[in-house]
Amino acid sequence: MARHSVTDDTAPLGVIIVGAGFIADHHGAALRGSSRARLAGIVDVDAGRASAAATAAGGVPWSTDLAEALARPDVGAAIVCTPNLTHEPIALQIAAAGKHLLMEKPLTITVPSARAVVEAFDAAGTVVMAAHTHRFYDYARAVNDAIAGGAVGRPVFARLALLGGWIWPDWRAWVLDPAKSGGHALHNGVHLLDLVSWWLRDEPVSVYARGRAQTAAELRIYDYLEMHVRYAGGADAVCEMSRGHRPSTLDRRDVLVAGTDGVLQLPADGWGSTVVTESGTSLLHPQAANGFAVQLDAWLDAIADPAAERAMTPADAVRAVALGVAAELSIERGEPVTLDEVMGGVHA
Amino acid sequence: MSDTTLGVLLLGSAGLGADQDHQSTMYRPAFEAHPGFEVRPDTTRLDDPAVDVVSVCVEPDQRADAVIAALQAGKHVLVDKPLALTAADAAKVAAVAAETGRVCLPAHHQRFHPMIAAARGAVAGGKVGLPWNVQADFLVAGGTPSPAGELANFAVYPLDVVLALTGLRVRRVFARLSTHWGGGDADDFALLFLTHENGLTSTISVGRIRELADTRPAGLAVHRYRVSGSHGVLDIDASRPAVVLRRGEASSQTWHGPGTVDRLLDELRAAIVAGRPSSPSAADAVHVAEIVDAARASAASGAPVDLATDKEGSR
Ligand SMILES: NC(=O)c1ccc[n+]([C@@H]2O[C@H](COP(=O)([O-])OP(=O)(O)OC[C@H]3O[C@@H](n4cnc5c(N)ncnc54)[C@H](O)[C@@H]3O)[C@@H](O)[C@H]2O)c1
Repeated sequence: MARHSVTDDTAPLGVIIVGAGFIADHHGAALRGSSRARLAGIVDVDAGRASAAATAAGGVPWSTDLAEALARPDVGAAIVCTPNLTHEPIALQIAAAGKHLLMEKPLTITVPSARAVVEAFDAAGTVVMAAHTHRFYDYARAVNDAIAGGAVGRPVFARLALLGGWIWPDWRAWVLDPAKSGGHALHNGVHLLDLVSWWLRDEPVSVYARGRAQTAAELRIYDYLEMHVRYAGGADAVCEMSRGHRPSTLDRRDVLVAGTDGVLQLPADGWGSTVVTESGTSLLHPQAANGFAVQLDAWLDAIADPAAERAMTPADAVRAVALGVAAELSIERGEPVTLDEVMGGVHA
Repeated sequence: MSDTTLGVLLLGSAGLGADQDHQSTMYRPAFEAHPGFEVRPDTTRLDDPAVDVVSVCVEPDQRADAVIAALQAGKHVLVDKPLALTAADAAKVAAVAAETGRVCLPAHHQRFHPMIAAARGAVAGGKVGLPWNVQADFLVAGGTPSPAGELANFAVYPLDVVLALTGLRVRRVFARLSTHWGGGDADDFALLFLTHENGLTSTISVGRIRELADTRPAGLAVHRYRVSGSHGVLDIDASRPAVVLRRGEASSQTWHGPGTVDRLLDELRAAIVAGRPSSPSAADAVHVAEIVDAARASAASGAPVDLATDKEGSR
């Protein structure tokens, strides 16, 4: 099996980044700070982007051909940061090459393809993890730690709002094309759907979602999403994801969890400091651990010991995709959609 | 009339559940303290000319009939919430109120909260542009669970506030009802997903967390609203304004000025004096009752419920 030829206990794992766009830099920075892994190369279909990123990273090899990069013996793993639609074929290619994968969320944009990817890595005996980065941020861990410590008893209601303004490019952005991104519920909604499911420690049963094209009526995705999830144990979650809030200088992150024994809150004005200047009001975020570095470590841990408990399992990644698909379908129908329906009756 | 004192008859001291008695705990003290009202002895007859206003807290299932009788006797009415247990009963009351021209004020007093009242003005004045979403949480610490459930009991307050903030009627309701803390059969947690006119959406969580009964301060653990609009966002924390006190035994909050029930009586008096319907009106209570009915149906079926749109506007 390829795994044995590419990881040994002493040398750092060689990792390529596939897709040198916006989020790739965060992964590159995490790799630079790691002693366990190193950036071994950049792959992008756009030669200009690949070479520029490779130069910026100190002259690592670059290519427009993924197969060529995966064939290198010093490459043991890949972090994939390409548009969502490309995740499935790229993941299958990496599994076939016997390498490990950290896939940017969503794992894929359909449930069957997400399952196919997980099965391919099972067959290859290598690790696949979806980059649900919020699980690795201080705020999410603080909430999770409190719940795990019994702070609210059994959690029965969670609210999570991530509200921000427009951060995407213009009409040409792939994110705005539902065929390429899967829609906003799959693009960003999955962050929240995964997080609340993790916090509540319960299995989702159905999703009722409402979407709004707030920034422009012509948008084909919903820049504001509200998603209600009902859980098997009787809990409920309400998730709001927005890129349609104004002003974009003041983003909000709001958490409320009620449990059988109490309530915990991270109010929107309860994290960060408010800066009021001549040019407006903004939030100064607190110093925090780099979520991308913590996530990288969790992935490297899984690669080092695939049998150990994982911070984010392949089943979690499939479930997040299923929740995103259910949310998009619910908006279309105006009714709740069951996980049974989108998972075809088979839970991950 | 502005100088005259209005005679008040306190009718009934029942509520939702055996130990809910808003007449004694809220309305009597408020009427006694409020200038311009005088509470008549409990033995006073409803048709006594010394009675101008009837404060109705009779059993919820007899409440609509009692309000109708008072209105038909030519009296103005303050009625505890819920005004009626069904939208159909509430509509009968509203029809009589319209017919008699008397004031019929449902006790939706949370809309008079100083933070909320200011927000209503700001939203109506366009401060956040065109509002398109409201999120609300109304989570009460402790108290006796309502045997009728908190959808019937508490949901009226945040529903009224959301309607007052936006001025937009509800077209579609999806709801979840659960029992997490009460121990009985009645719901103590409700989640309401509302779709209003002009596409505005709102979500309201309402609950009573019995486990927090012994924590200080008592009352509302979380009471807040966020209004998102085309040009801005308004966050309303109704646990403010507050001077916060921390002491060894507990922390508490205090503020100066009239409370929400006092302000409700201001509105009662102002509407009577001006000879206009009160705000909120009986018609507003009808719409709240329609939403509560629809929420119950939605929670039972698991599907959204559309409200009839041929009803005449309630505001
Ligand atoms: N975890 C997070 O917080 C977070 C944040 C933003 C984006 N993302 C995810 O990261 C991924 C990338 O998003 P982005 O905003 O960086 O996109 P981007 O458009 O900025 O970059 C994508 C890059 O991929 C390249 N590319 C396209 N198709 C390719 C292919 N088949 N093979 C190789 N390269 C290809 C493009 O040329 C481009 O350089 C998406 O899956 C997105 O959902 C995650």
